[in-house]
Amino acid sequence: MENSHCPKILIVDDEKGLRIGTKRLLEGEGYFVETAENGYDGIKLGTTTEFDLAIIDLKMPDIDGIQVMKEILKVYPDSVCLIATGYASYETAIEAIKFGAFSYIPKPFTPEELFQKLSQGYSRRELILEKKKWKQEREERLLEVAFEKSRLNTIINSITDGLLVVNKNGEAVLFNPSALKYLSFDQIKIEENIMDKLHPQIADLINKFLSSQKCEQKSFSSEVELKPNREFYVEATSSPVANPDGTLAGVVVVMKDITELKKIEFLKSQFVSMVSHELKAPIAAVYGYLKLFSDISIHLSEEQKLNYLNRSQIRLDGLLKMVNDLLDISRMELRTVNKEIKEIDLYVIIKSIIELFQIEIKKKNISVNVNSSEVLPCLLADQDEISRLCTNLISNSIKYNRQDGSIDIILSSSGNYIILEVKDTGIGLKPAEKAKLFQEFFRAKNEKTKDISGTGLGLSIVKRIVDSYSGKMEVESEFNIGTSFKIFLPLRNGIKNKKQNAGN
Amino acid sequence: MQSDVKKKILLVDDDLDLLEQNKILLESRGYQVITADNSKQGWELFISEKPDAAILDLIMEEHDSGFVLSYRIKKDNYGKNIPVIVLTSAAYFTGFKFSASTGEEKEWIKCDEIINKPVVADELVQKLESYFSLKDN
Repeated sequence: MENSHCPKILIVDDEKGLRIGTKRLLEGEGYFVETAENGYDGIKLGTTTEFDLAIIDLKMPDIDGIQVMKEILKVYPDSVCLIATGYASYETAIEAIKFGAFSYIPKPFTPEELFQKLSQGYSRRELILEKKKWKQEREERLLEVAFEKSRLNTIINSITDGLLVVNKNGEAVLFNPSALKYLSFDQIKIEENIMDKLHPQIADLINKFLSSQKCEQKSFSSEVELKPNREFYVEATSSPVANPDGTLAGVVVVMKDITELKKIEFLKSQFVSMVSHELKAPIAAVYGYLKLFSDISIHLSEEQKLNYLNRSQIRLDGLLKMVNDLLDISRMELRTVNKEIKEIDLYVIIKSIIELFQIEIKKKNISVNVNSSEVLPCLLADQDEISRLCTNLISNSIKYNRQDGSIDIILSSSGNYIILEVKDTGIGLKPAEKAKLFQEFFRAKNEKTKDISGTGLGLSIVKRIVDSYSGKMEVESEFNIGTSFKIFLPLRNGIKNKKQNAGN
Repeated sequence: MQSDVKKKILLVDDDLDLLEQNKILLESRGYQVITADNSKQGWELFISEKPDAAILDLIMEEHDSGFVLSYRIKKDNYGKNIPVIVLTSAAYFTGFKFSASTGEEKEWIKCDEIINKPVVADELVQKLESYFSLKDN
């Protein structure tokens, strides 16, 4: 045998001489040989170890060769069996082949005859093994492919980004449920040409590859508004899919929902343009006065000069306040405000703020009443923030109050809340104004407010502070009668402070 | 100034400081200036005073914007013959440029000129004079 692998042979024969002779012969040729002297031993050996080949005598006293072969093949169907038989029993030998024997070998046999049969048998064995191995590999691969495909499908179907693949003719090949949703399609038929149904911008992205039919390894992206008014925005990216030979097979489009991002972007740019407009107004005013001063063809009286300087200063003060308010808001937004939480007494804070506004209060002859329920629990909060909140509310109630008006400040508690109410007899708000009250830069503008300065950020800051304590606020207002703000601050819970949480 | 009679200019702006400044500027150039700080009052002044020109701020919080007021003036039998100039800082903070340089735009916006803020006195006066000389000749 040429094979480096040492073939295993089983010889089952009741003739001792033949067993020993054959064994010696075969071992000399490099075979590994085991022998059995009867059918029973033959079955035992042949079913415990897999032999490459078995030479089984047809006629044995206990069990006949065909039966032995059957038993062996039951366990090791790939073992190649040769039936050794005398001249007299050819017919039976041929029958043995029907039962699975590879061939038969007539007895007595010469070594050449034996080797020839064994060689054929062994070739057969190798063929069987190879076929078996190939079949097994193929099955494994099929399983793998099936698994891979279902895994890929699961992944594609479960991703929230929309995925659409078209072939080089613009026909749909693959898509996921998100793509259907994004494109507002009920269904896409596979191999349906969908180029005309797609949003023109998405079709353009695909056409960048289809029109040239080149498979350049690059991607194209664009932001596509699939529903107007910023309702639904996607970022669509197209990339080529290549054939093994490098030619264009199709195009894959991935759509990512960027609606929220776009909304934030819009709000941000809106805020920026609002801020720049608000900042520009006082600058323009001061700039204009400076121009008057420097214009040689304009003669200003001393009174005018004084008035204009005064106005410039007022506008610059307003600008400064606005910048400070903006910084406060930005700090709050970035949550860089570290709350220094301690027990604070609202009554004391309010009293001291009223002291600060004495000049303005006396100027308008406003009567201020502060009422506090007898057992007011202490508030756990940041003193500076609560002062800021109270200052903004009280300052508004003075600024927008009428001459000889009044301000009622009532402190009470209810359940888990401390309630601060600031009630004025001011100009009040029209319903339309009330809705815009907490918007940045909103200021009620009418005959009554034109001489009142303000940044339009005060209440926006109040709201942010209240929100940061998980509090709530209520506004009641009637035009020309007055406005009442009610602030509810939770006594203990809901303080949004990372440091505090981390410390506990 | 070509005539001895001072031309009467209606100035409408809800920023009181800018209103005052432009008033002083125009007065120093020999115009008579009447002012209003909202479009409602501006319209009333237009009706009662019959100015020779109107200069309107675009963005005003109360009542109508400068465009609406200029539209109303231009629709008026008297008003259609006077120059109406709209002042705006819109281009600065929105990047959106208004213009009334072509006839079509003038027809659409119903004003003669759109000038970006901050206003340069000489530019404003030059524009006014070119309208007045056209009319006088």
